[in-house]
Amino acid sequence: MSNYYNMPKLPTADSPKVAIFVDDKEVLVPGDTNLLEALKAVGIETPHICYHPYLPVSGNCRQCLVEQEGPRGRMLIIACYTPVTPGMKIYTPASSARVKNARKATNEFMLVNHPLDCPICDKAGECSLQENYMESAHESRLRPEVGKQYHANPDHAFVDSKGQVRGGKRVALGPRVTLDEERCVQCDRCVRFMRHVAKDEQLQLASRGDHTYITTFPGEKLDHEYDLCVTDICPVGALTANHFRFQQRVWLLSRTPSISMDDSLGANIWIDHNNGKIWRIMPRCNPEVNRSWLSNTSRLAYMSFTENRLASGDLNVVSDLLKHAKKVALVAGGACTLEDLAALKMLKDYLGDRASLFGGTLRPVVEADGIAKSGDPLANRAGFKALGIPDNNLNDLMKHAADYDVLLTVHNDLFGDDEGAMILKKIPNRVILSAFNDETSKDATLVCGVNHWSEVTGTMINSLNILQKLSPAPTCPDAQLKPAYEVLSTLAGNPLTSAIAALQKVQEFVPALKPYSYENIRSTGVKLDGVLL
Amino acid sequence: MAEKIKVCTSNFGKGAQDIAVYKKLGGYANISSRLFDLSQFEVIDLVQRSGLRGRGGAGFPTGLKWSFVPRNTGKPVYIVVNADEGEPGTFKDHFLMTEDPHRLIEGLIIAGWALGSRTAYIYVRGEFLPCIESLNKALNQAYAEGLLGKNIGGTKFSFDIFVHRGAGAYICGEETALINSLEGQKGQPRLKPPFPAVSGAWKSPTCVNNVETLMALPWIFQNSPEAYAALGTACAGGTKVFCVSGDVKRTGVYEAPLGTPLMELLTSSDYACGIDGTLKGVIPGGSSCPALLPEECEKATLDYECMAGLKTMFGSGAVMPFNTTRDVVVLLNTLGNFYSHESCGQCTPCREGTGYAKRILNAIINGEGHDGDLELLLSIADQYNGTTICPLAPALGAPMTALIKKYRSEFEAYIEKNPNHGSPRICATYRPGAFW
Repeated sequence: MSNYYNMPKLPTADSPKVAIFVDDKEVLVPGDTNLLEALKAVGIETPHICYHPYLPVSGNCRQCLVEQEGPRGRMLIIACYTPVTPGMKIYTPASSARVKNARKATNEFMLVNHPLDCPICDKAGECSLQENYMESAHESRLRPEVGKQYHANPDHAFVDSKGQVRGGKRVALGPRVTLDEERCVQCDRCVRFMRHVAKDEQLQLASRGDHTYITTFPGEKLDHEYDLCVTDICPVGALTANHFRFQQRVWLLSRTPSISMDDSLGANIWIDHNNGKIWRIMPRCNPEVNRSWLSNTSRLAYMSFTENRLASGDLNVVSDLLKHAKKVALVAGGACTLEDLAALKMLKDYLGDRASLFGGTLRPVVEADGIAKSGDPLANRAGFKALGIPDNNLNDLMKHAADYDVLLTVHNDLFGDDEGAMILKKIPNRVILSAFNDETSKDATLVCGVNHWSEVTGTMINSLNILQKLSPAPTCPDAQLKPAYEVLSTLAGNPLTSAIAALQKVQEFVPALKPYSYENIRSTGVKLDGVLL
Repeated sequence: MAEKIKVCTSNFGKGAQDIAVYKKLGGYANISSRLFDLSQFEVIDLVQRSGLRGRGGAGFPTGLKWSFVPRNTGKPVYIVVNADEGEPGTFKDHFLMTEDPHRLIEGLIIAGWALGSRTAYIYVRGEFLPCIESLNKALNQAYAEGLLGKNIGGTKFSFDIFVHRGAGAYICGEETALINSLEGQKGQPRLKPPFPAVSGAWKSPTCVNNVETLMALPWIFQNSPEAYAALGTACAGGTKVFCVSGDVKRTGVYEAPLGTPLMELLTSSDYACGIDGTLKGVIPGGSSCPALLPEECEKATLDYECMAGLKTMFGSGAVMPFNTTRDVVVLLNTLGNFYSHESCGQCTPCREGTGYAKRILNAIINGEGHDGDLELLLSIADQYNGTTICPLAPALGAPMTALIKKYRSEFEAYIEKNPNHGSPRICATYRPGAFW
């Protein structure tokens, strides 16, 4: 494995089209990419194990072989490493028996030393090796009886009931990731991820030949904010996440596409759930936002989504309170969607001069890590700006806390984020709209539970000015709970009972968003180039 | 033969490790205006005219390789000497460097001048201790005499040579793996292109040459490229150093012109003095070359074209004849063990495939072979071709195919030793140390 691998060039919408010949048929493909991506662009899938669009190409699995007509006749080449050149002649298994056999041979070679663990393997159902095997004829010439014996680390070896030496089934690489050395196909994706993306070389391929194995440096652990990404990119079940290991079969999970509302980059996620329970959060590929990566914080946050929740409050009491209030501070927080903010604005308009809008977060803004976090915990900051809601004036509120008699916060754990916010206890009536019974809610005079962001339909604008949509996962523990926009608009006397109505309200406030609806916002979002800011 | 011209081995046994002796024998005469008056392109042209081809095994024309090295890239040009001689049966470089280290240094200075390089690395196999000692001594002498270092011979040309010890991995004889190893990375071949000539050591243009190739340069300059070309055949000039081992009366390192009949090398009193016993076959160029049957040996000549015509390779010049007492199955099993042990583990067909072939060969040797194993081995060997990053797996596949096809009855006899050879395999039981 060399330090000098280059990142693959991916096709874009502006890629020049060039003509190449695939199986003697002329097709137009993107001209500035590798053959694998080019064939994908015209609908020809090439099986691959080690290639990953966001990792440097190492070309070691040899699964993506195709034939190319060259000066010395037809040669087998790897599609992932071959740049597209105009007029090149390519042969895929559709026309070339040699390619078909070569791919099958590679698949066989990988399988001969791969245990038949599929029935107990967490990756089964989303395993590249399994998929390739299904494609390549369901049979093998090679016989597992002469498969290799385990000889990577003597401490991990054992003799199974058939007398085979095996081992390395549960190697704890670190606090979150477990390695099964037998299942590993040495694609070195995880090594490249740690080296080139995480920029912290914690994994390494040790030894050589068919006794190569993944390991950390002696005495070191795999421990990094992005270490769970290696379990996503592992093409087989070698690297598994402790939090998901043996929890669910992947084919029993439903996936909801959403946005992680803990950071202003708005990492795209899949919420994998069944029977009303979230089992894991996975990164959802978005080339412009988080690519295929997700931080551990965002990924593991789901564990507390349904814990410590608030029940829905009595809105009449809140209404009465607001009716008699002299001066109300309306505070918006990080996880507010555009819909929530629009409803908050409605409430401000309803209360008139008695109310003032505040927004922001007391959590520190840190530097972007360049992977999948912008470092800004106010997820919808661009949305605040678009709707004209202050995004950074909580200090003003704290300075003039004595002026107010009602505090109403939405999705903002002020007390939990910063002890200094305790000064707001000067405000006699504190109404908290939150999903959780957090520090702020505990000290509230009135609490009103609302839906968590994973349970609502909504939109947000991320730090790259991309309009992204959240979809609701059916995992809300309490059917009585309502989204924050519905609660707020009810208080404002004009209940928005659906997300569509709420989005229309957003569009009333921000006409530039008029063209967008939940249907036409793509899963990867819509770039708002110069539309708003 | 009346008079044999020796290009590389003429100083053997004359104490040429000492610079005074080497100079007396005509050494370093080229490191003068004879070389420095020529432009870089003239030197490369001269090497191209000599017909010199790489002596490491692949036989790529040296002048052509040098012409690929780009100029004025703003990066240094490195010359790397591939002295990581690991092919079973090959031992010429070891002797060449031990006996005549100054000739290598002289050849390197010529190459350095031709390529505009100022740094060369000699990547020596780590086990070659006498050789490394001899090289280091020679380098110190050359520095002391002003043949290396700054402003050689009063010119603006400066040149340094470093000896780097490898750690004994066969794969580090592959040029890109060698470069990785030289840089301190794991010795695994890189994807090509880019080829080392464009982006090699530290991403700079790098020329990797075999020891013997570079050692032919002083002779070519002292005499003439045409004289060198005339020694060989139409397609490749010069002589070749052969390492003859195995069942011959006198094993050793012999230098012979290209185009010499194979049987002359094995039987002539100038060379190996005859076969020991009855000839069964010859491995003509190192372990990765398919073996030749006796009848093929009769018509074989030692050059690139004839060997290619016989579907084998000229290789590194390791000629290994074996007689009828030798067991071909054991031979192939040894090769299987060797190649699977030396596979770097990077690409799938080699990592898994060589190990798989080895385990089948081990089973055959242990009397546990089954019908169909030979077809399986042949098909596996076929699947190595063109699917791997480097030629290590095909280097097992080629001799495996040839040996099974040419000596099939012997393999079948082994398989028939298994009383259940007709039945399907059952899971092998655990035997400690059986495979390792």
